[in-house]
Amino acid sequence: MIRPRWRKVLSDLWDNKMRTLLVVASIAVGVFSIGMIAGAYEIISKDMSASYASANPANIDMRTDDFNQDLIDSLSNVDGVKEVEGRRFFSVRARVPGEEWTNLDLVAINDFNDTHINLLLPLQGSPYPADKQVILEGQALDNLPVEVGEEVEFQLPNGNIKKMTIVGFVQDQTTGAGDFLAPPLGYVTLDTLPWLGQPTEYNRLMVTADGDSNDIEHIREVSSSISDKIEKSNRQVYRTELNKTNEHPMSSTVEAILGILMALGILIVFLSSSLIANTLNSLLTQHLPHIGVMKLIGARSQQIFGMYIVLILSFGLIALLIALPAGGQAAYTLSEYIASKMNFNLQGYRIVPLAYLLQIIVAILIPLAAGFIPVNNGSRVKVQEAISGSGLSAGKASYGWLERLGSRVKWITRPMLISLRNTFRRKRRLLLTLLTLTIGGAIFIGVFNVQRSLEDFITKTEKYFIADVTLNFDRPYRVDEINQAVMDVAHVQHSEGWAFVSADIIRPDDSVANYLTILAPPVDSKLIEPIMLEGRWLTPGDKKAITVSEAIWSDFPDLKAGDQLKLKISGQEDEWTVVGIFRFISRDQVIGYATYDYISELLSLSNQAFSYRIVTEEHTLEYQNQMSATIDKYLRDLGYHVSETQAGLSTLETASESLAILINFLLIMALLTALVGSIGLTGTMGMNVMERTREIGVMRAIGATDAQIMKTVIVEGMIIGVISWFLGAIFSFPITLLLSRIISLAIFNSPSEFVLNPLGFIIWLGLVLILSAFASVLPARSAARLTIREVLAYE
Amino acid sequence: MNDAASAPMIQLRQVVKRFKTGAGEYMGLRGVDVDIFPGQFVAIVGKSGSGKSTMLNMITGIDHPTSGEVLVNGVNIYKMTESERSLWRGHNLGIVFQFFQLLPMLTLVENTMLPMDYCNVFSPLERPERAMELLKMVGLQEQAHKLPAAVSNGQQQAAAIARALATDPPIIVADEPTGNLDSRSSEEIIELFNQLVLQGKTIILVTHDPSITKRSTRTLILADGKIINETVAKALPLLTHTQMLKVTQLLEHKEIPAGNTIIYKGEHIDYFFMIAEGEVEIVFKPAKREELTIARLGEGEFFGEVELVHGGNSIASVRAAPERSVKLIALHRKDFSEMLVGSPLTEEAISRIVQVRMAENRSVDRRGRWW
Repeated sequence: MIRPRWRKVLSDLWDNKMRTLLVVASIAVGVFSIGMIAGAYEIISKDMSASYASANPANIDMRTDDFNQDLIDSLSNVDGVKEVEGRRFFSVRARVPGEEWTNLDLVAINDFNDTHINLLLPLQGSPYPADKQVILEGQALDNLPVEVGEEVEFQLPNGNIKKMTIVGFVQDQTTGAGDFLAPPLGYVTLDTLPWLGQPTEYNRLMVTADGDSNDIEHIREVSSSISDKIEKSNRQVYRTELNKTNEHPMSSTVEAILGILMALGILIVFLSSSLIANTLNSLLTQHLPHIGVMKLIGARSQQIFGMYIVLILSFGLIALLIALPAGGQAAYTLSEYIASKMNFNLQGYRIVPLAYLLQIIVAILIPLAAGFIPVNNGSRVKVQEAISGSGLSAGKASYGWLERLGSRVKWITRPMLISLRNTFRRKRRLLLTLLTLTIGGAIFIGVFNVQRSLEDFITKTEKYFIADVTLNFDRPYRVDEINQAVMDVAHVQHSEGWAFVSADIIRPDDSVANYLTILAPPVDSKLIEPIMLEGRWLTPGDKKAITVSEAIWSDFPDLKAGDQLKLKISGQEDEWTVVGIFRFISRDQVIGYATYDYISELLSLSNQAFSYRIVTEEHTLEYQNQMSATIDKYLRDLGYHVSETQAGLSTLETASESLAILINFLLIMALLTALVGSIGLTGTMGMNVMERTREIGVMRAIGATDAQIMKTVIVEGMIIGVISWFLGAIFSFPITLLLSRIISLAIFNSPSEFVLNPLGFIIWLGLVLILSAFASVLPARSAARLTIREVLAYE
Repeated sequence: MNDAASAPMIQLRQVVKRFKTGAGEYMGLRGVDVDIFPGQFVAIVGKSGSGKSTMLNMITGIDHPTSGEVLVNGVNIYKMTESERSLWRGHNLGIVFQFFQLLPMLTLVENTMLPMDYCNVFSPLERPERAMELLKMVGLQEQAHKLPAAVSNGQQQAAAIARALATDPPIIVADEPTGNLDSRSSEEIIELFNQLVLQGKTIILVTHDPSITKRSTRTLILADGKIINETVAKALPLLTHTQMLKVTQLLEHKEIPAGNTIIYKGEHIDYFFMIAEGEVEIVFKPAKREELTIARLGEGEFFGEVELVHGGNSIASVRAAPERSVKLIALHRKDFSEMLVGSPLTEEAISRIVQVRMAENRSVDRRGRWW
């Protein structure tokens, strides 16, 4: 037999189902988010790298001049090299006949049966393409919706279009894993290359290191030996990427983003605790007469306190029952989503004990903490205070600014005044509600600002890519000659030759700190508008002078403009003066600029260049692609050895797309926060209506229609919404700063600037008005449905 | 009893209200029929639980009857939606509550303006002026801009009356308007109601306050969900409400055309008669002399009790007055005797009246007159 007081606790739980639901939902939302994010964090941080390692990723990935099996054989003898393989990468455009073109990198592999590095995982169809067949990386499907057996058109760098059959899909977890900007991949055999207008040679070297393949210094040493050997074979290394075997290149980025989500999750817990405090406050107010009666018949404060604490624990337990499995499931679903976006595989469904533990702690402790004050105050109330009152609540007697507003502003009607004054009647409740909505709004606006600041960042980065077409040859040509030839193509406005060279940055102890790609535009080039952080840009006559991107600071944190930097170019070490440091998107790679005159002289290629930058009449990606193809074909027809033509905006386009995914993700979180905010508002409005049923009855009795009652409640909700918008707009500033700093550091390794996006403010205003109207509609409807007899109940 | 030729303003027709509670069904009203006419000041009284507030709720449209009809100004208010009824109520009824029920967030003048806003009566510019006039009328012009919590209970109730008058409704309904007030405030509030009656408002109020019933033009007594016959209540005030109700249920109704004789002298009488409407003449004809009309009895008075109490045949003739027909309610001898057994106070009072009338009869007999 249950003792009567516990029976009361049970009936408190059961009788007012709506309230129980509200409290349980408030707790469950927080417990759920924590479980989901903590679980996903744990799953992803373990599985991402494990999955990556399982594909035996290349520790060294080099872009070089063309090479063949002979070089591979000789490199396999280099100290520290475990496996070496070659690939040929080249860019094409692909489409299902009649559909839109999409960018794709084709990768040629000699023997699909005998690859050991960057392993491909078969997904569907054949894992080995035959001659003139293609297999696609699974993610290519996002832009190229095809099925196995279908034919796809490929536009080659020379403009020709070839058709090939898609024979299978594979997953490539490793190639380009660290590059947000990498286009999707397709794979062909080496034998197919001549048909595609490509030499049967490699231009990409994949190497795994012997020994500790998770020691980046060791990998760098091996890489240094390899690049020495390549350079000795009269080939240049254009770009080198180093990766550990057991760490996904994006893991730190993903962890940073999950960190943000975790912070948002904690925030949601915090917000939900304010909902709990609100609901419990109202519950205790409603229960005052019960408390009075219990005290009247001998209950002590402690006993009452105990009863309500048990009630709160019951709320927590019910919430836990719902949120624990749901959070675990959502953690796995979220991990699956991230895994599919980041192209890795999970090790299967599992329970994360740490996440469960966190959920249990949150479900028990947060409601207790939130409920302590209201329960403590409620259980100490005096009997006389507890049992009194049958009319409307007394209200305040003092005449304040809200009352003056009513008498001074003549156009405010009384129903409007009721909404306005009701808003401020329960100040603590209002404060807690505002807190949730404000933070939700601040994050929402912040995400828009961050999006704008990231876009701005990209737009500024475009200033490094002003040229519409980048043209590369596989041998140097005289600059005047190529410029003349290119200017003959219709719609070309300007052309200039750029030199470039790869360098090792040498530490004082003579070890290699990093690689540096030096681009050398003409000193008066208009095709680059750098954002200088320190020092100056290049000036005519600069010798051994270089500007470097800010990524240099990760290796040389104290480097200033004017300092010396030891560079090794073509085997020769020399001290260079860093004349300026500029901002650039870069993860690990340092980029430098020097004058064309000096670099071409250094390379003994005066007045010649491998690479050209071309300006056309229009600057859209579409037009640039078209012009690239035209120029490419024109020069090939003239007998020039073009290795690659590329539209200027293509890289940035891919970058924006990747950012869009991230921004959408953040927006979803912001909407979730807003949702918690509006659940809070619904709760508040529900409690307000519940407490004011008598007043609503009176309004009905003196002539208020359904619409008028609903309007009173909805306007009150919307006033709260508007106040929260103002506060949210203010708090969005620090949140924007924080978010954009964390995100741009995670993605670009450099902080972006603070930018305001009015769109975020406007959309949130609209949204908060809609949300608050919706949040009030339910309580308003139930208010309108109350019959007067219920609320005035005379007898 | 009704105000001449005018049609009833409020009509309750066989109104039944059944409440379902956890303990089973409970009858709030058991078939109530009432007509209330324009300008009447009606007090509804009854013990707690007798159904008086339920009846008020039926009139105000606050609650639905289980069966039966409520017509106000000819309109069946239960054919409207709740929302339409609210608006209708705002226009037609002013309600005054026991606990004032002023909205605590509005000042007194704002509370008074609120019904005008809801019902959109008077132009927005006129509303403050009208509200101030009403507050002045109830003596609150000084307090108009105070919040309800800043004034006394009596002042709150006066403001509630001002609010009830805001849309100038023809009917004012009040539920225990003085129930929560001290005697001085009560007196002021009752005085306000009196003024409203003089202004032609129809007033219906539920009350326990005898000072209100004294001033009302009509008192409806409810017992056990039924209305006690108003004539019974008037004629036999010493019965308990339950006894009155029992008598109400045993009554026979008779209508006698003008001038027709109801009882002949010397006739055997089996009924106790109470006059519901009209008048009767008591006629005495001494031997060899002209017939004498020795008395006229009106509404709420009774006859036939002498014969029933004292025995013997009728001592005088009774006939309907010549001006108009008379409506009588009659209680059978057996029921009358039982009633007296159940109510010693009534028996004593009636015995006193019988003795007086007997003595008078003897004296008329001697002097050729009745009393």
